[in-house]
Amino acid sequence: MAGRSMTFREAINEAIRLEMRRDPTVIIMGEDVAGGARLPHVEGRGEEAWGGVLGVTKGLAKEFGRTRVLDTPISESAFIGAAVAAAATGLRPIAELMFVDFFGVCMDQIFNQGAKLRYMFGGKAKVPMVIRTMVGAGFRAAGQHSGCHYSVFTHMPGLKTVVPSTPYDAKGLLISAIRDDDPVIFFEHKVLYDMEGEVPEGEYAIPLGQADIKREGRDVTVVAIGRMVHFALEAAERLAAGDGVSVEVVDPRTLSPLDEETIISSVKKTHRLVVVDEDNPRCSMATDIVALVTTRAIEYLDGPPQMVTAPHTVVPFSPVLEDYYIPSPEKIIQAVNTALGRV
Amino acid sequence: MAEISRDTLLWIYERMRLIRCFEDKVAELFAQGLLPGFVHLYAGEEAIAVGVCAHLTDRDYITSTHRGHGHCIAKGVDINAMMAELFGKATGACKGKGGSMHIADVSKGMLGANGIVGGGGPLACGSGLTAKVTGSDSVTACFFGDGAAEQGTMHEAMNLAAIWKLPVIFVCENNLYAESTPWFYHCAARDIADRGVAYNMPGILVDGTDVFAVYEAAGEAIARARRGEGPTLIEARAFRYYGHFQGDPLTYRTPEEEEEYRRRDPLDQFRRRVLERNLLTADELDAIDARAREAVEAAVRFAQASPYPAPEECLTDVYVKYP
Amino acid sequence: MSAVGIIANPASGKDIRRLVAQASVFDNNEKVNIIRRTLRALDALGVRRVLIMPDTAGLGLRALDGLRLSLDARIIEMPVYGDARDSTRAARIMAEAGVACIVTVGGDGTNRAAARGAGDVPLIPVSTGTNNVFPVMVEGTVAGLAAGVIAAGLVPADAVTYRTKRLELYVDGELIDVALVDIATSRDLFVGSRALWDPGRLREAVLAQARPGTVGLAAVGGCLTTLSPRNTHGLYLRLGAGGRQVLAPIAPGLVVPVGILEHRLLEAGEEVHLDPGNCTVALDGEREVEVGLQQTVAVRLTTAGPRVVDIEAALAEATRRGAFDLAWEAPDGPSGGC
Repeated sequence: MAGRSMTFREAINEAIRLEMRRDPTVIIMGEDVAGGARLPHVEGRGEEAWGGVLGVTKGLAKEFGRTRVLDTPISESAFIGAAVAAAATGLRPIAELMFVDFFGVCMDQIFNQGAKLRYMFGGKAKVPMVIRTMVGAGFRAAGQHSGCHYSVFTHMPGLKTVVPSTPYDAKGLLISAIRDDDPVIFFEHKVLYDMEGEVPEGEYAIPLGQADIKREGRDVTVVAIGRMVHFALEAAERLAAGDGVSVEVVDPRTLSPLDEETIISSVKKTHRLVVVDEDNPRCSMATDIVALVTTRAIEYLDGPPQMVTAPHTVVPFSPVLEDYYIPSPEKIIQAVNTALGRV
Repeated sequence: MAEISRDTLLWIYERMRLIRCFEDKVAELFAQGLLPGFVHLYAGEEAIAVGVCAHLTDRDYITSTHRGHGHCIAKGVDINAMMAELFGKATGACKGKGGSMHIADVSKGMLGANGIVGGGGPLACGSGLTAKVTGSDSVTACFFGDGAAEQGTMHEAMNLAAIWKLPVIFVCENNLYAESTPWFYHCAARDIADRGVAYNMPGILVDGTDVFAVYEAAGEAIARARRGEGPTLIEARAFRYYGHFQGDPLTYRTPEEEEEYRRRDPLDQFRRRVLERNLLTADELDAIDARAREAVEAAVRFAQASPYPAPEECLTDVYVKYP
Repeated sequence: MSAVGIIANPASGKDIRRLVAQASVFDNNEKVNIIRRTLRALDALGVRRVLIMPDTAGLGLRALDGLRLSLDARIIEMPVYGDARDSTRAARIMAEAGVACIVTVGGDGTNRAAARGAGDVPLIPVSTGTNNVFPVMVEGTVAGLAAGVIAAGLVPADAVTYRTKRLELYVDGELIDVALVDIATSRDLFVGSRALWDPGRLREAVLAQARPGTVGLAAVGGCLTTLSPRNTHGLYLRLGAGGRQVLAPIAPGLVVPVGILEHRLLEAGEEVHLDPGNCTVALDGEREVEVGLQQTVAVRLTTAGPRVVDIEAALAEATRRGAFDLAWEAPDGPSGGC
């Protein structure tokens, strides 16, 4: 495919831009997604102050105007709920929940309204909305701006959850998410925003529910989510170089729906499983994937599955503590060795 | 006050009577143990839903509350489908998946009863936003209770609707009690209408037992919203005849209070006033009463004769598409 | 030393005029503050006892909450209906308790209701809104001072009060209600949201006051003649297109042409029969009574309205009598003075 290099941030911006051009019902709203609403020196010149706190939505207001790119007050319940009903009445809204940790102030609108509406109405409504939200540690942003919490949303029937790990995936998955007729939570790891990668021009959609094997291998399956894909790839590289261990890295890309078949067939090939997840460990994607494999393919396993996750703590502030909190390539290497029975 | 046509008068009475008959019947069925779950009944507050919805078409939207049967009927949702829903039948408005607290009919602009107190405020902003973005003249009426008035969602929603000048009217149905807690305890401002000032929108107080008062106020507020002038807050004070839920012992109310409100019954009041003015005849009103009773009986027969959903229907309608 | 009554109406200042015109909003908090300021003024003048009407919004209770006063202020015990009956009943109880005057906080409607129960007890009407004629826009502290000088016997009440007019409404020959400023018939079939704001719907009006500088029907009358509250005449108007037109503030923010087909002065005691037919009758700008096709409507102008305190006159008289002069020493004394 015709490749260009762009950042994860630019890939997301491009996905939104293309969908907004293609479909006039797509709108985007959130805190500072344009920035500077009604300030004459900003809006009067067609400028945007921020384009999102980390600049992901920069340029959209200029192209699509302030009716489709809406700055919101800091009222997550109101604007996420508004996105739910706007979706149910004909729009395809993208709402930005600045940090996933803020779900506490608007969960009712996500979970009791957005996620359940279709089912409670007997299938006579649909809610084609996307909630984009920033996740992940590594910014020294401490306990209320650094969580992942994918599993909280993945737990909920009615929601789809997407965690891209590369610029290419981010663009293709976001296009799918916007076109999807169900509510999708789209998790963007803030550390990945500056990551560069090959991204084709034009529209392409990566189906939700399709995992991607980011590196093929024979000896052990490492299922890694989001930013952890890159740590898993680094660990795989080092293991291959050092001991000749062949690691297969599976990126589920979407957690609900989850591509069970790709994970199961990888394990059937390698007979070993390591799951790497930056989320907290209890009731997590890590435990979920381990449960999936042990219930469906235990006879293929040559040893107990291993999990590399954040500890059961809040994300700490001090760099020393936060670095300890985040799973590392070293911990993955250690887990792979344990899975292979080498320690 | 705008002219009110004979057809509108008939429609108003017919809808109010249908709501009253429906709710009285539901209370009876519930007492007989024929309905699963629990129900929150709207009897006594008919004038509010009907006075507002008299100005709305199927292209307009409403958001509702856990006490939503009246809103559904006022918005034209089929009562057979409603009754079947209460019975949990496959022919229900939501195929038996929603029940009393989630009856909806998006095709009629009824965006759902809502089990979450204050849940509808943000939703109303959403349908209002759709109207604004698509340039339609559709208006959304957001019904919420005095209890919901204390939810953060309502404050957020009213502020958002005001800054975006959304075509939404916020109709607070103050039935004096949030469950069993009196509004003069839970509301620091005492009059919820006072809060309009804080959201930069008109806030007015009307008698929610008087359908003409509601009709007039809602008519002006809806016209204002359609003109693109933004939201209005209307506090309509009325009284719920049944408890918070059916079976509530009602120990928090006094007999004097009940007597006072029965004296102002919205249906009796309407009947007396239109008869005194020779606007409708007693025969016409009696015929409406009879038709409403029969329609509700027919709805019960329809519901009872309808099949339950197949158990595995539990698994459908979670998603439009899930691989 | 007599007591003072306070009647504050929580419902005033919230009707549809906030939606269809730009009428001022008077929230409950401000009403609470007015009561507090009135109480402080009464306290400063040494008034010992104040009776306050109970109401659905708890205005009186909230005013007293945390307010440190030497006077004994209490909420009357009575049933609360949340409508005009409350003000009438409270005024009657206060009159029976022998209050020297009643401070009313509300609009024309509040005073109409209070007047029905107050008998000869003078009112000090404090307006809570922009579209009132009977009550005056006055700071609550000043109203409290005026009430205080009367209750404390610092000025004789008779010298600073005057008797107002009253319009009696008869439907089918029976006295139904009274108004203090105006009675009008409207083509509206129903009382609805009560307020009048569309002059096109008015048929006839009888005014007790006609004054430029007011808002509502009194202002329409004020375009034709001037009738102060103390003048004993009234004015009859037949409204409609095709005759003289005047430009008048019919509601806050609504300065519109009003068609006058006929107008004539009325003498005290005169009764006017209004056209029958389906209509609503508005008292002091609020639709109150629905009248059927077969019913007759008549209005009688009388001079039996409530007594009202002339606030400025009361304070001027009190000042003249030295009521506000505290003990002071001669200018050459140690503390000086003015």
